[in-house]
Amino acid sequence: MTNLCDLNFVHFGDVSVDIAGLRAQAAVALGARDLSAERCVFVVDSVREALGCVVYGMSDDLDFGVVERARLSPEVLGRFAENHVQLRNAHDGSVVGSVVAADQVEAGRVTVLTSGTTGLFKLISHTAATLNTFERVDVLPANTWFMPYQIGSYAWYQMVALCLFKEGQGLIPGDFSDLAASFEGAIARGLVTAISSTPTFWRYALMSIDEDTLKSAQLRSISMGGEIVDQAILDRLAALYPQARIRHIYASSEAGAAIVVSDGKAGFKAELLERTDSTIGVKMEEGRLYIRSPYANRADEGGWVDTEDLVEQRGDRIYFLGRVGNTMINVGGQKVFPQDIEAHLMAHEEVVWARVIARKAPLMGALPVASIVLRKQMDEMAAERMLTAHCEAVLAEYATPRMWNFLSDIPMKDSLKS
Amino acid sequence: MERTEILNIMNMIMTKKGRSEITDESQSTREVNFRSLDFSETALRIEFKIGTELSFEAASMRKIETVKDVLDFFEEATKGV
Repeated sequence: MTNLCDLNFVHFGDVSVDIAGLRAQAAVALGARDLSAERCVFVVDSVREALGCVVYGMSDDLDFGVVERARLSPEVLGRFAENHVQLRNAHDGSVVGSVVAADQVEAGRVTVLTSGTTGLFKLISHTAATLNTFERVDVLPANTWFMPYQIGSYAWYQMVALCLFKEGQGLIPGDFSDLAASFEGAIARGLVTAISSTPTFWRYALMSIDEDTLKSAQLRSISMGGEIVDQAILDRLAALYPQARIRHIYASSEAGAAIVVSDGKAGFKAELLERTDSTIGVKMEEGRLYIRSPYANRADEGGWVDTEDLVEQRGDRIYFLGRVGNTMINVGGQKVFPQDIEAHLMAHEEVVWARVIARKAPLMGALPVASIVLRKQMDEMAAERMLTAHCEAVLAEYATPRMWNFLSDIPMKDSLKS
Repeated sequence: MERTEILNIMNMIMTKKGRSEITDESQSTREVNFRSLDFSETALRIEFKIGTELSFEAASMRKIETVKDVLDFFEEATKGV
């Protein structure tokens, strides 16, 4: 039996339920069944149901996870079956699909779902201990966190674990069908004091919610992760919320939470690479980032996880350049990193979001092509000239995008990344 | 694609880059400052306009010296598309 913070609250619109209440709700639905001899994943229809299952599963040290019903597809069902995971309805514990042959059960294992950068659906094994990344933080001011993440993802579990294991930490789950409206509602109710999200979520919020409403949020703590955090978004949030502590956190479902940066700058201090006294180790080899962390769910013999993230030292800081294998653009033999171009574009006051990719082109091999969301609509040719001049003022000529695609909305995925 | 359309695309790129428009086909690409990157961009814009990816012959590309050569090259590449 694992002890949880029973008095912490989760706020669903105007209804607030404490952890003990969530456990009681799940016990009514699932309590009649003995689930200790199987690895199961609860199929849920709402975030409230999902949280009830997590509270119930963690309290009873079950081998469990949660998945939204809408995510079930033949491919996803097949992936669960080949891992001997029994799917069960959260509302009554009955079997979903067919009965799966039982395999090894690990009490306390939490199955986290990730689609990864490859798009392949993966099951990652965690425990309450590896998800509770705030465990070593002694003093945590009381906060109510807006939680915009998808049910069952690593980021979602981390936030849930925060509420389950640290006193004074409440949650406001976002409504995935309209995240902007649910964030706006949470601000209007005056409850939200902290938020964990991605840079793309913030760009989406800045486009969708008027600035006065955003400013009215009494945010004391802003955490960002999941994507490269650029200087432009850090500066924008610092201007909106001068009172807030803004941090960007490097974490992945496999390496666990590893690097927390709170100095308001993109990247992280190079001196982290030299530290040997820390529980978490960080090293750079051949431009790749390796992490040694007690929160990792896999590692090589030395305890290091190859994050497959590319990094580069510039002065006394280390900057992220993107993922191995899908980053660099080779323009006539010159190497260009799309993230550098994107960061420069997003520093322009008229740009809300930018994405740069390679497009095959004769003679040069490839050219950078940009997709842009502008703060307000303008003539596309004028916008192209404006942004070309902005790039040419700082970037090499070969790094200046040659084709421009102007979008009306940020293409935000369910992971809140773009 | 018509020669004038190709020239329009080239001149759009020239103007965007703050350079003078090309008026004389016999001038060398070096003289008018039409660079390799501009050539590649022209190709992409033509592909975008006609909605199909073109295949380019490397040997013909290497022979390009004048604006006329560029126009001939793209005219030939888009023939029958």
